[in-house]
Amino acid sequence: MKKMFNQVGESMKSARRWHGAAKAAIAVSALSFLASCAKDAPQDTWQPAGPNAEKIDNLQRPVFYVAGVVGVIVFAAVAWAMYRYRDRGQAIPEQTHGKPALEIVLTVIPVLILLGVAVPTAGTIFELAKTSDTEMTINVTGQQWWWEYDYPASGSNIEEFGITAPIVTSGQLVIPENTKVLLRVTSRDVIHSYWIPKLNGKKDSVPGRVHLLRMEGSQPGIYAGQCTEFCGLSHSYMRMEAVVLSRADYDKWVANELEEYTAPAAGTEAAVGESLFIQQCSRCHQVNGLANSDGSLIISAPDQYLVSGAAPNLTNLMTRNTFAGASWDLLTPECRNNVWNADSADFGERYLAGVSSDCLNQKDLREWLRNSPAKKPMYADPTKLEASDGKYRGMPALGLTEDQINSIIAYLLERK
Amino acid sequence: MITTSSKLFYGIGGVAFAAAIVWMIANNGGSGAVALVFVATASIFLGAIASYVRDGHVLSTDTEQHDSAPAAQRGSGRSWFPLGTALSLGTVIVGLVTSPGIFKVGVALLLAMLGEWLIQNWSDRASSDPSYNERVRGRVVHPLEIPIAGALLLAIIVLSSSRIFLALSKNAGAIVFSIIGILVLFFGSVLSIRRGTSVRFVGAVCGVVLLSLSVVGVVLALDGEREQLTEAAEEDHFAHRACGVEAEYSDKHAVRAVSAKSSVAATVTLKDGALYAEMDGYSGPLTSITLQRSLNSSIIFQNEDEGEHRMVVTYGKVVESLGGGVEREALLQACTSLVTKGGQQGVVVNIPKPSFSSTEGFSITVPGLEGASVEVLVP
Repeated sequence: MKKMFNQVGESMKSARRWHGAAKAAIAVSALSFLASCAKDAPQDTWQPAGPNAEKIDNLQRPVFYVAGVVGVIVFAAVAWAMYRYRDRGQAIPEQTHGKPALEIVLTVIPVLILLGVAVPTAGTIFELAKTSDTEMTINVTGQQWWWEYDYPASGSNIEEFGITAPIVTSGQLVIPENTKVLLRVTSRDVIHSYWIPKLNGKKDSVPGRVHLLRMEGSQPGIYAGQCTEFCGLSHSYMRMEAVVLSRADYDKWVANELEEYTAPAAGTEAAVGESLFIQQCSRCHQVNGLANSDGSLIISAPDQYLVSGAAPNLTNLMTRNTFAGASWDLLTPECRNNVWNADSADFGERYLAGVSSDCLNQKDLREWLRNSPAKKPMYADPTKLEASDGKYRGMPALGLTEDQINSIIAYLLERK
Repeated sequence: MITTSSKLFYGIGGVAFAAAIVWMIANNGGSGAVALVFVATASIFLGAIASYVRDGHVLSTDTEQHDSAPAAQRGSGRSWFPLGTALSLGTVIVGLVTSPGIFKVGVALLLAMLGEWLIQNWSDRASSDPSYNERVRGRVVHPLEIPIAGALLLAIIVLSSSRIFLALSKNAGAIVFSIIGILVLFFGSVLSIRRGTSVRFVGAVCGVVLLSLSVVGVVLALDGEREQLTEAAEEDHFAHRACGVEAEYSDKHAVRAVSAKSSVAATVTLKDGALYAEMDGYSGPLTSITLQRSLNSSIIFQNEDEGEHRMVVTYGKVVESLGGGVEREALLQACTSLVTKGGQQGVVVNIPKPSFSSTEGFSITVPGLEGASVEVLVP
């Protein structure tokens, strides 16, 4: 009797374990399925928005379907075999070894499948590596933890797009619609990786090397991405956005970027902010055209204070929608949605409006100016900089008062 | 029972514990006190073990054990470690008065010798079976000894060979090492044919060759590098430097590092008296290039014209102090050495300031050729 009770107990335990595992499997599957239904997924690789990403999509979809069918067949076969031949106390069946015909078939089928995948893969790789047909060139430089974009005043950039002087910006890459852009990707400190999933695949940015990456957007809009090579403490905060503008809007953007510096009107809060910027910020951040009272240009020297030797150029900060390595929006959520959700026809106008005082995301920008290392970890403790020869890897806390922050924000709001 | 050796450990433990208290009072806590408490704890633990096993002594009444107990066995009797320890100690002392490098080598040797000596003494008395003792020692130290000895052997071969290469002329070096290679191949072939050759003979030959290589290497290292290398080093032409007097011994056909040539920012060519640049991502020749700020950029210069020319990258000015309150403005420049027709040279520039910071702008030029210039823009 006791033995029977033990057997019943064991079988109940086994059933509970089985039911627990089944519930977990169902829960994971359901969550995975639900995750695929996410609407706000700006880095969705299944929604290409340019010819290069479409080439990748045209490759990955059939491969995914074939792999899916193969996977289902394999899992179904394994499940059937497990159930059909489960241990029921029967004798071990006769063991056989070697079925040449079957082995040949099972070798040839995977070879054919892999060949079917390899041929279009090689073709796509060569197409994505082509650089001879590109119409515009932009330098992309990664550093801890933001991306710098500079538009060289050379070749077709001058002739076709009117970039008569170098333009330097950060956080948002701005490109014209339906234009084959060539990114020259490199790094100033450690290895990073540049990835805008809706526009193309990844490309590592490596110190001392220049890697080429094609980029093209088919319709105006903003496309998000992020660094995909672990690059230190704030790797997860190293994001980027590509902004695609119609050709007419792009020309307006270029013209605005090339405009001369306009100093704030005397006696305004922005003028106070300008002098504070010169004292506190211009050591690292360049604002083109900013001058001392004697008229001499102020040239930042980030190479003296930062490991990477560079800090974002803030000349036209408020034409961008993000700051601090695209980690935070410069726009309030409402204004951001107004830009992000605009249709193609209205997008350019809304984007080019930049950041107004009504739309400024005061909360995040103020927190940043109060104590940036508390918002984004950046090895900014002055007592622990021996290893980097006294140089920071990001922006240190400047100890600004609220009044100073007000003035600097007033000054920055005019940088567009 | 407090035995002889346990007294030592208890004593160390007591002193360490007292020192920890003194340390804590003097330094208001700190990691030193923690370390001393650990020492005290470990010593008392070892003392307790020594007490428990009564120092491993054999009882006086157990007369059979007097000769067979492990502690009664004689050591191997031919230990080199006392001599090695003495030499290491000498090296440490010499290093103290000469150079930190020798001192560090001496300390490393001293620690190695003391460790070996300790393990030797322990293994000699691990059991009453000398062959077992030898195996026990091998299990402990061979995983360290063999790789280190192998690395040292390789280091001797590489260092000696490199000293010989640097001392001989370029042609003589190639001839000498070709002959050595042929001899090694010949000896190896003979060994493969004559399978009965004794291991001792092979070892002796290898030892003699290694010793000869080391002796020749040391002699030639003391004699110094060949004349051209010595003078080239004095000229410091290996380093990229501000443009000055042309280096006499520079290698005008230097290949440079593969990495510098495989990922260049720009290739600048002098042809028919004109200068133009080519960059990845641009079609056709450029007379204006943009380089990123604060980024190492490799620029290759290739000369397609007759005669020797050099490329000069000018990227602003710097104020130099000449002493006594006297200052002067100097150009920030990076240069290649003179390049003959068909030759290439590279420079790496890192420009920390934007080009608009200079009223004259930044440029790439070839001295002596009017109009041969490429504009350099830095945003």
